[in-house]
Amino acid sequence: MIRTALKTVFAHKLRLALTALSVMIGVAFIAGTFIFTDTIDETFNDLFDDIFQGQDVIVQGVTEFDVGFSGPPPIDESVLDDVLAVAGVQAAEGTVGGFAVIYDKEGEAIVPTGPPTIGGSVTEDLRLAGNVTIRDGRSPTASGEVAVDARTADDNGLAVGDIITVQTPTVVDDYEIVAVIGFGESDNLAGATFAAFELGTAQEVFDLEGKFSSIVVIADEGTSPDLLRNSIASVLPSGVEAVTAADEAADQSEALSESLGFLQTALLVFALVAVFVASFIIQNTFRIIVRQRQKELALMRAVGATGGQVIWMVVIEAIIVGVVASILGIAFGFVIAQGLTSVMSAIGFDLPSTTAPLATRTIIVGVAVGLGVTVLAAVLPAIRASRIPPVAALQDVDVRLRMSDRRRTIIGSVVLAAGIALILNGLFGDILDLGPLNELTAVGAGALLVFLAVSMLSSLIVKPIARVLGPILGFIAPSNLLRPVRNLIGRRRGVDKLTGLLAVQNSVRKPRRTATTASALMIGLALVAFFFVLGDSIKASASGAIEEGLRADYVVSVSGFSGGFSPALGEELDAQPEIEAVTQLRFGFWDRNGSDEFLMGINTDTVEQTIFLGVTRGSIAELDQGGVMVVEDIFDDEGWTLGQTIPMGFATTGLQQVPVVGTFTENGIVQANFLVSLDFYEQNFEGFGTDVDFVLAAKAADGVSLEDSRAVMDAAAEDYANVTVRDQAEYRQSQEDQVDQLLVTFNALLVLAVIIAVFGIANTLALSIFERTREIGLLRAVGMDRPQLRRMIRHEAMIVAIIGAILGIIVGLFFGIVVTAALSAQGIDVLSIPAAQITALVIFGAVAGLMAAILPARRASKLNILEAIAYE
Amino acid sequence: MTTAQIPITGAVAARIDGGVKIYGEGDTEVRALDGVSAQFESGRFTAIMGPSGSGKSTLMHCVAGLDELTSGTVHIGETELGSLNDKDLTLLRREQVGFVFQAFNLIPTLSARENVLLPLLIAGEDHDEAWFDQVIGILGLGDRLTHRPSELSGGQQQRVAAARALVSRPAIVFADEPSGNLDSKSAAELLDFMRRAVKEFGQTIVMVTHDPVAASYADRVVFLEDGKIVDELQDPTPDSVIDRMRQFGA
Ligand SMILES: Nc1ncnc2c1ncn2[C@@H]1O[C@H](COP(=O)(O)OP(=O)(O)OP(=O)(O)O)[C@@H](O)[C@H]1O
Ligand SMILES: [Mg+2]
Repeated sequence: MIRTALKTVFAHKLRLALTALSVMIGVAFIAGTFIFTDTIDETFNDLFDDIFQGQDVIVQGVTEFDVGFSGPPPIDESVLDDVLAVAGVQAAEGTVGGFAVIYDKEGEAIVPTGPPTIGGSVTEDLRLAGNVTIRDGRSPTASGEVAVDARTADDNGLAVGDIITVQTPTVVDDYEIVAVIGFGESDNLAGATFAAFELGTAQEVFDLEGKFSSIVVIADEGTSPDLLRNSIASVLPSGVEAVTAADEAADQSEALSESLGFLQTALLVFALVAVFVASFIIQNTFRIIVRQRQKELALMRAVGATGGQVIWMVVIEAIIVGVVASILGIAFGFVIAQGLTSVMSAIGFDLPSTTAPLATRTIIVGVAVGLGVTVLAAVLPAIRASRIPPVAALQDVDVRLRMSDRRRTIIGSVVLAAGIALILNGLFGDILDLGPLNELTAVGAGALLVFLAVSMLSSLIVKPIARVLGPILGFIAPSNLLRPVRNLIGRRRGVDKLTGLLAVQNSVRKPRRTATTASALMIGLALVAFFFVLGDSIKASASGAIEEGLRADYVVSVSGFSGGFSPALGEELDAQPEIEAVTQLRFGFWDRNGSDEFLMGINTDTVEQTIFLGVTRGSIAELDQGGVMVVEDIFDDEGWTLGQTIPMGFATTGLQQVPVVGTFTENGIVQANFLVSLDFYEQNFEGFGTDVDFVLAAKAADGVSLEDSRAVMDAAAEDYANVTVRDQAEYRQSQEDQVDQLLVTFNALLVLAVIIAVFGIANTLALSIFERTREIGLLRAVGMDRPQLRRMIRHEAMIVAIIGAILGIIVGLFFGIVVTAALSAQGIDVLSIPAAQITALVIFGAVAGLMAAILPARRASKLNILEAIAYE
Repeated sequence: MTTAQIPITGAVAARIDGGVKIYGEGDTEVRALDGVSAQFESGRFTAIMGPSGSGKSTLMHCVAGLDELTSGTVHIGETELGSLNDKDLTLLRREQVGFVFQAFNLIPTLSARENVLLPLLIAGEDHDEAWFDQVIGILGLGDRLTHRPSELSGGQQQRVAAARALVSRPAIVFADEPSGNLDSKSAAELLDFMRRAVKEFGQTIVMVTHDPVAASYADRVVFLEDGKIVDELQDPTPDSVIDRMRQFGA
């Protein structure tokens, strides 16, 4: 049996190769994601190991609740004396760190797009400096001296002796470069720019006078880090902890891996979409193969093969395809991983060019998915094959083994209803209790069911759609567009109705096949359409919120991950007569019953001049007593009452009982559901660097022209190179640009799914043409020329692709509309459907069809007429 | 060539001179045509007979522009086929040649009417409704025109194919055992139709057949053996054809 299956695999090389290719792309995407994230993991593991190289114990502030971006709260300088007094401590020094932006020689800030701009102190004892090595020069020992990382130095032509500007949370000042430093072999820390100062200077510029971010300890010879950690811990005041350097390295790299987990999940979702699309192609291929081998299979049944054996024959073939495709896919995964690494380095994250070794998990998941999907998709055609009656061997009849239209309609409708119910339930909740199924899974599973249902039901609408499309395509065919010219030069020809007619007939001949092929394309395009709708709605909502809610004329914000700017800027602006009000907006995460929640700290005295909040209960002024204001939806949902206290967990201060002092409705600008006063914020969020601003909203004074106020704004901001001033229109544009960037990323990831679908159209087309060899021979014999034949096939492909695009748009619009509706509480309250982009999708579908038709059309037109006519 | 003239009897519709067709090379070499020269006059019905493997189909394919001779020349009308590229050959077939094959003559997705009009549809030309009606009328297919081929009997299918071959009024129609798969009644209807097309419309037809009765519908029979023309018979009857065949032991 296996030998028979192997033989058929070889006999059907080409069609199976195309099938394998579609599986391979999906598996490669999965494997590539794993390899890529493993590489990042390994890189950061190494990085953190290296950073703490040679250190034994770290003493730092206790973090009550991990807030990701900010480190532990600073500790008092005096702790160092306590530590030094502990027996077994060989050396210990305090260090500080924070954000620092280095300027190049032209005075432009060096701000990478992705990685942060950081700075810190250098230890006097270089054994305490981790893997920091001085490549050139000497350690900074006085104020006015700085060391920079080798990559920043190289890229910007900086060298020892140069005078450069560095911006820190407290000052923008000039420093002399006294050293170029490396980190072991690396020139920088995964792309971050790094400026190092002598300890005293560092404390000053990072606004940590009298404080340390941490104390680094080396143990005496023969004292184990664990032991030393325990003895140090016993002398520490409350709020300060001691951890071994090894634990800290593991902790930090784990925290980073966790944040990468999101990236991994996102990439895997796109990979699974690709695999899902591939499963349609596989199913189609096997269905066609079974049909073409109907007689052969019937003959096997006639000579005594059981139905089960026939199923096995087909399934073994699928297993062979699945295994080969999975192995190739995993190998190709390295190429994908390399590609992702290049993308990362293009946006500024330096990753090593070597990839992590292949993890067993990658192989298992890759093969399981590749093989599983192929076999699953082949099972239905295989069962169908087993139902071929032995008499089919003797008759030339086309045995109908399809599901009846009635059954298909019923089952399809039920699946569709179930899918829609799951989605709505996941989005809006409370309709059905699904127990452990979380919302996102429900929406995902629902989407899957909707795709399956639409592909089932779509065979019923293939005919009408094709009938409408045929004449349209026939009309825009080049031969018809050229008709007036032809008539002019005397070579008269009628409208070429025939190729269009034949294309339509061919595409509706096997509605299931056309529907499945079109559905494969539908999935990718539906998701693209979904993102278009969602993106456009987000943009429209943001614009609306800015228009209605932003009373300020300017928004000042930091560029890149450069850690904010000194509050001096806000004060300076506030002092200008041209500027009426400046509001500082400081965001932070807090722990709300175990999940992260966002809040915003604001200047209570100016916020009403700069931002419309739609206060419905209480007043902003009441925040000054240390309360919190809540967006009305949550307040109502939770059934809170004014004056009641709610538990809020903060990184520095732990769990606090905070009174609710009011509600508001307009959260579009602040993008937070909870508001507190700036004082409250500072008390609870003192941490990694302290008093810095990230966003300011500024309103010009009445009667001041926009040119004048703008000039004042720009002049003030000029000293802060990582600061951007935007007026309302620019701010709106920047919000839209962010959304667009995300859209581009998502759609780029969906391209793979679309490519697989195009392969699917090409494969199905090639197989169908193969079935119609004699017909094509006949058409050629009675005078159809090659261009006409190619056009016929192109039209057929375009019909299939456009059906896919139309279905995709319908499904995508549905997804977009319900998801947008579900997000209205998150401030996405405008539904906007980008007509131009949606229309472009149809055209894109037609072009995809054209591309898919290239090879099959070429093959068909090269058929030898006589052989084709004689073909059995 | 949108308005093909009905050819005047006496002119030559197609001609093959010194036609040689060799398949394969060396040991496997087969001389399917071994120096064939023949003329097919306009407005006449010629039958080609001969034993299996004698080269009948090969001769037909080469004269019809579906295959190329190894050496020798073929003319359709004044046009020498050897000088034509694929595009011109396709145009020539479309405008000057009609075909009826033994089986699989029709496009399954098109109706009988569309199948009949296929050459004109391919050319994007309008058809002459009167001529179409006349052809369909003789064929007795009037009520079957909207049917798909799968809904027609084998005889009806072959008649649709014959109508398709005639509808564009080509200079010459080739038929390779058109009645080979039909019962005698259906065969007689088809052959009768072909003869009427020759007599009444002056159509030129060349037909390959094994059947002496079928051959007797023709004006002339050409006998082929081992790739050579070995004899010819004018105004054949079934008996005279059988006599001739006995002479050659076919
Ligand atoms: N494509 C080909 N390759 C090789 N040999 C061929 C090919 N086509 C035909 N032949 C050979 O050429 C010879 C003539 O074949 P042809 O088909 O013309 O015979 P025929 O007279 O039509 O026979 P039949 O009555 O069986 O149809 C035969 O020996 C055949 O085997
Ligand atoms: Mg033959």
